[in-house]
Amino acid sequence: MSGMKRRQLWGGIAVQAAALALGLVIIFPIVYGILGAFKSPAEFSAYPPTFWPESFAYTRNFRDAFARVPFLRFGFNSLVVAFIGTVMRLLFAVLAAFAFAFYDFRCKNALFLAVLATMMLPGDTLLVTNFLTVSRLRLLDSYLGMAITSFVGATQMFMLRQSFLTFPRELKDAGQVDGCGDLRFLATVLLPMSKPVLVTLFVQSFVTLWNAYLWPLLVTNSNHMRTIQVGITMITSFEDTNYHLVLAGVALSLLPSFLLFILLRRNIQRNMTGGALVG
Amino acid sequence: MLKRMLPLLLVAAMALTPGAYAQEPAQPVSLLFWHSMSDEAGVLVDKFVTQFNATIGKDRQISVEAVFQGQYSDATTKLNSILTAEDYAQLPDVMNLDATGKVAYFNSGRAWTLDDALAADPGYDISQILPITLSNWEFSGVRLGMPFAASTTIMFYNKTMLDEAGAMAPETFQDIISLSEKLPEKSAGGLDVLAYSVVPNTPTLANWLGQLGSYVVNNKNGSEAMATGLECLENGALETFLTEWKAMYDAGALTNAAGTTDQFVAGQLAVLTTSSSNVTSLLEKIGGAFELGAGFYPRVNAQASDGATVSGSCVVMFDKQDEARKAAAWELVKYLASPEVQAEFAAATGYVPVNTAAQEMAEYKALVAGTPQYAVAGEQLAITPADMKSVTVGPAKDFYYAIQDNIAMMLDEGLSVAETVEMMADDLQGLLYQYEQANK
Amino acid sequence: MKKAKPYLFVLPILVFAVGFVYYPFFKTFLFSFSTVNAKGVITGFAGLDNFTYLFSRRDFGIALRNTLKITAINVPVTVFITMGLALLATKKRRLSPVYETMFTLPMAIAMSAAAMIFKVLLNPTVGWLNYALGLDIGWYQSREYALYGILMLTVWMGIGFDFLLFLSAFRAVPDQLMEAGTMDGAGPRSRFFRIQLPLISPTILYVALTNMVLAMMVSGPVIILTQGGPARATTTLIFMMYNSGYGSANYSLSACISLVAFALTFSLALMAFWVERKRVHYQ
Repeated sequence: MSGMKRRQLWGGIAVQAAALALGLVIIFPIVYGILGAFKSPAEFSAYPPTFWPESFAYTRNFRDAFARVPFLRFGFNSLVVAFIGTVMRLLFAVLAAFAFAFYDFRCKNALFLAVLATMMLPGDTLLVTNFLTVSRLRLLDSYLGMAITSFVGATQMFMLRQSFLTFPRELKDAGQVDGCGDLRFLATVLLPMSKPVLVTLFVQSFVTLWNAYLWPLLVTNSNHMRTIQVGITMITSFEDTNYHLVLAGVALSLLPSFLLFILLRRNIQRNMTGGALVG
Repeated sequence: MLKRMLPLLLVAAMALTPGAYAQEPAQPVSLLFWHSMSDEAGVLVDKFVTQFNATIGKDRQISVEAVFQGQYSDATTKLNSILTAEDYAQLPDVMNLDATGKVAYFNSGRAWTLDDALAADPGYDISQILPITLSNWEFSGVRLGMPFAASTTIMFYNKTMLDEAGAMAPETFQDIISLSEKLPEKSAGGLDVLAYSVVPNTPTLANWLGQLGSYVVNNKNGSEAMATGLECLENGALETFLTEWKAMYDAGALTNAAGTTDQFVAGQLAVLTTSSSNVTSLLEKIGGAFELGAGFYPRVNAQASDGATVSGSCVVMFDKQDEARKAAAWELVKYLASPEVQAEFAAATGYVPVNTAAQEMAEYKALVAGTPQYAVAGEQLAITPADMKSVTVGPAKDFYYAIQDNIAMMLDEGLSVAETVEMMADDLQGLLYQYEQANK
Repeated sequence: MKKAKPYLFVLPILVFAVGFVYYPFFKTFLFSFSTVNAKGVITGFAGLDNFTYLFSRRDFGIALRNTLKITAINVPVTVFITMGLALLATKKRRLSPVYETMFTLPMAIAMSAAAMIFKVLLNPTVGWLNYALGLDIGWYQSREYALYGILMLTVWMGIGFDFLLFLSAFRAVPDQLMEAGTMDGAGPRSRFFRIQLPLISPTILYVALTNMVLAMMVSGPVIILTQGGPARATTTLIFMMYNSGYGSANYSLSACISLVAFALTFSLALMAFWVERKRVHYQ
């Protein structure tokens, strides 16, 4: 028996070592990018290329990046837009997924496909018409204008439906006998039990909206409404790439989403017991 | 009595001469200036606008807000969206445009062109602006905007490498072939040395066909009216260029890839052709690893003339249907083209000063004396034939890629020059025809 | 009232889907059968001319082939990698939080930021990768490798989220089932194929489906890294749509391309659902 235990112990160590090694490969580009933010232009042009910067005390890139872009203001704007967009998107997705998972009604399949198909329409073709709509709604240069096109989340709706399908329907009917309304059932039973999926979807959607570039640029006109992705393009010049500055900007833009991510990851970790997507 | 009447008379006289009065906007005006200047140039634009607000702006009660609108193509996309939505209130007063926005601006219905401004202010001396940069922003015989950030394509070379190989700076394609025979196989860092590496596209084709006295497309490269066909077929210019180009490739002197600044800086590439505005960043990146040589853009053959077209951007004004705003916008545009601004801008970025007076300013003179590479672009523009023009076509991107594709096919798949000319003619004429049909 | 309830729940998402997706898409649909000028205004009816022109263009065939190639590689590779990682991480161990965070981290990186990093990392002279591995590949400069350079980025970006999905799916497989399998003498391999795989099949379907849609729509990395080149080696359908539409003022052509992309993606998705009906296991 002790032999088997020892084997298990060594097996566990081997698995963990392999996982760590793979993990290092996966985060390698991120580490490389952040290290690059500490390199001088001369270090970038020297051949052979280096992995480590000469000195971590070389912070001129960050100072230059800050001098060119008001990162705090832009970061705040991105935060607001990504937050509004994500919350509304999840809210609508939850409601729709609830209906698709727990009710039978006419045209259910057609409506489901109609929502799902929005995923397959290339966003760029919709740009100009949506600009027109937002301009008619007098929403140009506003947070709502930037967020409004992201309220439809087909991916989110689909995943929530998959997750809701794992709950037996009787659960809802039992609740109703107890005098528990549908929405209360949703809010007090279903959502708390779906927390892991919701947190995952929140993070994913937040990061996607944090990434958006062209749409926020189109619908904003003033400096104080710009988002952080626009900030990164303010660092790169038109005819030439300054790798050292770009990577400093990239590193700065990563900071908030990293923080959010690591904070919420622990939350996902704690909740990662529910059957998120198993049939 | 007369003394008492004098102020009254003066007031009456001023009221009767509206021109004099209109020059001074009574109401404070706030202007919106959209630009696409990023990095160092972006910092400078902010500085110029702040200076303007503190000096001329203060006197005339104009305050300008400068807003970065993304790269030129993003800004043009935005301009197009506004025009399609007919939401003219969103237009800025002054906008920084490159060639991608020229036609959109011309057709916007809200253009207040440089020619309009000059008609309203005959006192302005337009002859101080470098003529070739002015004509670059002309369309249909109208001067659209004031040149602001002007550059041209020049040749950079690794002087240290050339000296060691005992070679002179090349002037023609033939010279590049002879150069490549003298170069070592490997660089100091162990990379394969390349003589020259570039993939021709619309602007480079305009340069090289221009040297041969031909336009790429008709209507003077689309500067007088929308281009409807190629103009480099019957005069044989395209064929001449492709023949010389293929010879360079077959001799192993040319690599069919976009030669990058990175390769040049790493000592892998002997000759680089790129925008003159890269002088500053090239010097910074090379950091003394080798000596940077700068010379005129290489010529197709010994018969070809020197030169390359102007690139960069201009500033245009929009008609916001308010005379005071237009007058204020014009003040800003004049300021941006002033010798002081242009000299400082050129010194910090490597752009060519569009104001000839700027070249006489101490700041610019000191720059050229210390770093002679800066002078090359200006000298080259001075001898570039005045009728050499950059290409304006409707299907701009498709046109650009079709040129690259066809030349890549000639080199990679060994098509003959004649076959390439025929295929290229088909593709490019097809694109122009489609555009013409859709925009009749 | 009771009957109206589900419709009320679906209403908000539908209203916005119609307003900001279907209405503009309908305009696109109209564009594809019309002559449209450079200002984006319809000037006439074109019938099927736009489609005929599109299909006659050499670059359309290339774009279609590239897009299908990206999809055909991206989907299985992503499923394979993320499922493997999840399998490795299923059992909670002391270092689980560390490597799970590492596996999920790519998810927190913006596409533009990731593209910039890859541009530097894979650069043949500035980047470290070629030098460290002793390779001489112009990842984004050569016709042979550029598409794989793009794929490296798209696969990498997908790792985080899909890993999380597989991880929670594997962890939700009841322990008793696995133990019962062991009792019956099933080895790890047969437990995987006979117990875990059928149970996580909805996740596989989902990951494959979303990746398929994303791969069919790839354009961002192409715009930032290669501009479709060199010599169209990385031109995808959506990149071509972007290039011909905004870049060349041919709005009817770009409308045709987006219709083609939509039709292809939609039929692939329907196929996936058909497979779901037949094969995917719901409890």
